[in-house]
Amino acid sequence: MTRYRLSVDNDRCRRYGICAAEAAQLFRLTQNGGLRYLRAVPSDAVPAAEAAVRSCPTLAIDLEER
Amino acid sequence: MGERIVIVGAGPAGLRAGERLRERGFGGELIVVGEEPYRPYHRPGLIKPLLTGKMRPRDLRLPVLTDLDATWRYNTRATHLVPEEHVLHLPGGEEIRYDGLVIATGAQARHLPGAPRQDPRVHVMRTVADAVAVQKSLSRTRAGVAIIGGGFVAGELASAVRSLGRDATIIMRGSSMLRHVPGDDFGETVHALHEAHGVQVVTGAWVQHWVPQPDGIAMHLNTGQVVFAGCVVLAVGSVPAVSWLRGSGLILDDGIMCGPTCHAIGASDIVVAGDAARWPNLRFDTAPRRVEHWLNAVEMGRAAADNLLAGQESAKPYTPLPRFWTEQHGMRIQGAGTPALAKDTVLLTGPVAVGRRVTGYVTGGNLVGLIGWDTPPGMLKWTRELEKQTTKAMRLRLARRTPTRPAHDVTTRMPLAALNHEHPPAAYHEHPPAPTSHERRDPTPTFGELPPAPHGFPPPHEPPYRHHPAHPPAYDDDFPTTFDEIPPVFEELPPTFYELPPTR
Repeated sequence: MTRYRLSVDNDRCRRYGICAAEAAQLFRLTQNGGLRYLRAVPSDAVPAAEAAVRSCPTLAIDLEER
Repeated sequence: MGERIVIVGAGPAGLRAGERLRERGFGGELIVVGEEPYRPYHRPGLIKPLLTGKMRPRDLRLPVLTDLDATWRYNTRATHLVPEEHVLHLPGGEEIRYDGLVIATGAQARHLPGAPRQDPRVHVMRTVADAVAVQKSLSRTRAGVAIIGGGFVAGELASAVRSLGRDATIIMRGSSMLRHVPGDDFGETVHALHEAHGVQVVTGAWVQHWVPQPDGIAMHLNTGQVVFAGCVVLAVGSVPAVSWLRGSGLILDDGIMCGPTCHAIGASDIVVAGDAARWPNLRFDTAPRRVEHWLNAVEMGRAAADNLLAGQESAKPYTPLPRFWTEQHGMRIQGAGTPALAKDTVLLTGPVAVGRRVTGYVTGGNLVGLIGWDTPPGMLKWTRELEKQTTKAMRLRLARRTPTRPAHDVTTRMPLAALNHEHPPAAYHEHPPAPTSHERRDPTPTFGELPPAPHGFPPPHEPPYRHHPAHPPAYDDDFPTTFDEIPPVFEELPPTFYELPPTR
C-alpha cells in the first residue's frame, strides 16, 4: 500500500489557509495565523491532500509517495 | 464516452481537466494542445516570485497528480473549430477529430491603444515569456518602472518592483485601485498601502503622448505630468483568447457562452473551463460571467471534465464559491464570493484597524461576498459560513423557480422536500411534513449574529467542485490531536505578521 507524505515549503507558504479549506483533516490555521499540518496522510485523505496541492496559492505543498 | 478527448489549452484548467478525466476512468485517447512552449505553470507566481528571483520558471511548473497518458502538442495554436463535424483544426491543415472537447485557452493581456508595443521596454504581463522579458528590461535600466493599470496585476507588480528597491509609478484611469470591489474605503486603503511603500500612484490619468528616448520612455499624461521610466508594463486587464473560435458557431461574447454545466451553448460535446468560460453560476444568479481568478481555472477544469463525461442531461451545474487573493507589499488581501454584486457592506469581524478585518458584502439581505485583510483564520471561518449561506439561498431559489414540478435539487439530485423543514434526513423517506409558514418567509439575517444553519440539512451527495471531509472539525477547540492508526507528527510553521506603518 503506498503511503503519502506531505511537506510544506516554509518560504513559499504565505499561510492563506486554502489548504485548510480543502483538507481540514490535514491542515489547519492556528489562532494567530500559523499553519499546522500532518505529515503522514491517511489513505482516505489522499484526494483531499491532492486538492490542497492543486489549490495552494503559492505552490508550497508537496505530496510525495513513499 | 467516446474514443478521443482533446483539450485545447495547456494551462491549469486544461491540466486539471485531463487529470480528472483519467481519475474518472476515461480510458480513451487524450490530446492536449497548448500554444506556449511550456508545460502548465503557475501564473500567480510570475509576478513577485519570478521578478524578485525567488523562483525560476521551472519552479513554477504545476505538479501533476495523476498520470495523464496524453499526447502533448506544445507550441501549437489551434486555428479554428468546426463543431458540427467534431473537428479541431491546427496549423498547416492538420485536423483532429474528437468525441469530446475541453476548451481551456484562457485569456491574453489586453492591449493599450497607443502604447508603442514595438519598443522592447514596453511589456504586458501574462505569460512566462512576458515575465522573463520584464526581468531583462529591469536589469538593463536603473530608471524606475511605470505600471499602467489599477487592478490586481498592477498592484502586485508595484509591490515586486518596490521590494527590489526600484522606483514604481502606477498610472491609472480610475479614481481608486481594485475598483471592482464596491465601497470607497477599500480602494482608499489599497492606495494608502502603496503610497506607504513609496509607490507613486497617479489616478484619473492616462498617457496622451508616448515619447521613447534612448534611456527610457517619457509618458506625457492628460494631467500635465510627465512620467519617465526605464521599463513600462501595461496591466490593463485581459481578454479571453477566443478569436480562434470565430465562425465556429459557438457564441462569443466576452468569452465563450456556456450553460450552468460548463457546456458551450449549442454543443453537447464541448465544455469550457477557466478564464475563457462565461457561464451562469447558479449559486448567485443566472447571469453569465467570467471569473478570472486562478483557483477557478483549477476547479472548473475538474468540473468541466466531470460534466463532459456525464453528458449534458446528467451533468451537475458548476456552482463554485469563487475564492481569490492578492498580496500587495506583504499584505494578504483575500476574497470569496462575488463582492462586486453587493449593494452594501457590513463589518463582520476585526478591530478598527485594517489588519484582521473581514468585510461582508451584502445584497438583498443575503451575504454574497467577503474581503479579508491579512486574516486567513477569519477568512477560513467566514468563507465556510458564506458557502453554507449561498448554498442554501441557491437551493431555495432553484426550488421556487419550478414550484409545480416534482422537485429535484439540480445541484445534488436530492428531493427538494428535504430542504424546507427541520427534521433530520431520515424523516423525509416517509411523508415529510409540509413546510410551515415560518420557513416560507425569506430569512433576513441580522449580521453580527448570523442565523444558525438549519439542522438536518442533508449534506451534498457529491460536492459539485471539491471534496469535503466527512466531519470537518470545528475551529481550534476540538481538532483531534491523535488519529486512530497513524500517530501525528505535527510540523509547526510560525506565523508571518504584517502591520501597516503608522500614517503620517
